[in-house]
Amino acid sequence: MKKLSTEKLQELEDKAYEIRRLAMEMIISSSWGHIGGAFSMADILAALYFHEMKLDPEDPLMENRDRFILSKAHASPAMYAALALRGFYPEERIYEYCEPGGLEGHTHILSAPGIEASGGPLGMGLSVAVGMALGLRQKENPRSRVYCMMGDGECNEGNVWEAAMAAAHHHLDNLIAIVDYNKVMAKGMLWQMMSIEPFSDKWEAFGWNVHEVDGHDMEALVEVLHKARWIAANGKPNVIIAHTVKGKGIERAEFNYKWHTHAPAPEMGDEMLREMAHNYGKPETGYSRLKHGLNKQSFYGGE
Amino acid sequence: MNSITKKRTEMRDAFAEILVELGLKYEKMLFLDADLHTSTKASEFKKRFPDRFIQNGIAEQNMFGVAAGLAFEGFIPVPSTFAVFASRRALDQIAISICYPNLNVKIPGSYVGIPTSRAGASHNSIEDIAIMRSMPNMKVADPCSSNDLKAIMRKAMETNGPVYWRISRYELPEIFEDEHSFEWGKGVVISEGSDVTLFGTGIMTDFNIRAAKLLAEENIMAEVIHLASIKPIDREMIIQSVLKTGCAVTAENASINGGFGDAVLEVLAEEHAVPAYKIGVRDKFIESGGIEELFSIHKMQPTDIGNAAKQVIKKKFENI
Repeated sequence: MKKLSTEKLQELEDKAYEIRRLAMEMIISSSWGHIGGAFSMADILAALYFHEMKLDPEDPLMENRDRFILSKAHASPAMYAALALRGFYPEERIYEYCEPGGLEGHTHILSAPGIEASGGPLGMGLSVAVGMALGLRQKENPRSRVYCMMGDGECNEGNVWEAAMAAAHHHLDNLIAIVDYNKVMAKGMLWQMMSIEPFSDKWEAFGWNVHEVDGHDMEALVEVLHKARWIAANGKPNVIIAHTVKGKGIERAEFNYKWHTHAPAPEMGDEMLREMAHNYGKPETGYSRLKHGLNKQSFYGGE
Repeated sequence: MNSITKKRTEMRDAFAEILVELGLKYEKMLFLDADLHTSTKASEFKKRFPDRFIQNGIAEQNMFGVAAGLAFEGFIPVPSTFAVFASRRALDQIAISICYPNLNVKIPGSYVGIPTSRAGASHNSIEDIAIMRSMPNMKVADPCSSNDLKAIMRKAMETNGPVYWRISRYELPEIFEDEHSFEWGKGVVISEGSDVTLFGTGIMTDFNIRAAKLLAEENIMAEVIHLASIKPIDREMIIQSVLKTGCAVTAENASINGGFGDAVLEVLAEEHAVPAYKIGVRDKFIESGGIEELFSIHKMQPTDIGNAAKQVIKKKFENI
């Protein structure tokens, strides 16, 4: 494949930063959300939404679009942010996160355009993706791809492996699963809670093409996505195991299960956003609604 | 209604026929199976439409997720398995992947209640009515005969959103015409009466008809109402009937915990409470056994319904 220009790569890096920034704004303003899992997949989302996937925000249900399912639906702030940045709805809508009639806590198809399924209970997204991939086959649409973003911890669920078996059985090479392998679950390290290793061997044994990548290396991500779409379309489904850091971008949340769910109070959130901006070399604007105050029940936690 | 009695039929045979009829009419209809298509009698559909028959192996959770994905792509999937596996094994998938986004998935649950085989508690579904009707967007029906089943399935395909209906493995007299039609939230008065209302769903309507005959011998006039549409339920018909009779018995081929009887009693409790009794499996797992024997053990035979009717009539007069 043709290498991406430095400018394009920088643009994708910038989008990844913006996804994180907006996700953080959502989590602070709603006082609920999952920083860890949203931030670990932010770079992958940038590569998908701003480079790899064929989408049209003006025509969200365009027949020959690529489909994306967020099986780890708790990481919704990053997805809602990506969709807003891609133009599916005004950026202002992100402040409806977790509000009645707004953007649901876990991604829900009726919340906003660009969401392809509803989720929340872990381990179920890959089956829906298998159904979509089968549906595309049935409609003789060879161009579109179905992407399914999964968490590593959810691979403890039996349903994942039922779906993995089915995808290989049906030769769904239009299906690309991506596992955000951030090594950390809600209450501890994955290897302590329930190990999934040997992970790539499992997928291989189930009949999948397996690709491994550093989930924060934009150039490598773009390359592996290209490979999974075109080069490895050999009658087998593809899985990209993306090695990531949970909470990537917010130092105190990195690799730290205590930041799996919790939201920072506005002042702490402001500080965290400034830290992140500093690390990425961006203007340290902080939390945009710091002066709004907060009068809702809070679910602060973390460190 | 026309109370003709035709030959006894089994719903599974009607299921096989209607699937093909609907398959011809709806080219987007796909049948999803989990290694049971000869038991559910979907084999004819498979023969006629091999490209629209998707085998999923013994993996119901995945099958219902796949159904959701196919529905998102514009198909009308019919994922079929035994009712126990749809309602218990794949509940989360049906709730969140299918009902939450209000997807066009049509779910037949077979092997329901007492009359299945001698398989026992693991295969005789008694919680499915309660489970399925608890989910927003889901519509639930339980037919009393082959023509009722066909009418429900025709309606299910015309309906937008998820639908669950039951298919019994039991020979029943046909009480409806071939042209019988089914409406959501509409019941059918099988016979009018003034002393007690026997509300039934599924095959228990036939038991209620037989109970009413027994009661008539004792000069008790029972009104028999068939409510195939459990959700939505015909509130108006329920209220109007008990305003006349003043007491009720409900009968379902399922557990009474949260099922059809409770659906009727919820209406009565909110609108017009009367003495009532629920016929059904009373908080027990079904054991292996002969079908009629099991109906007797669980006190669901027409004589049991008749006795319950007399009890509620007695309470009605005690209350006055």
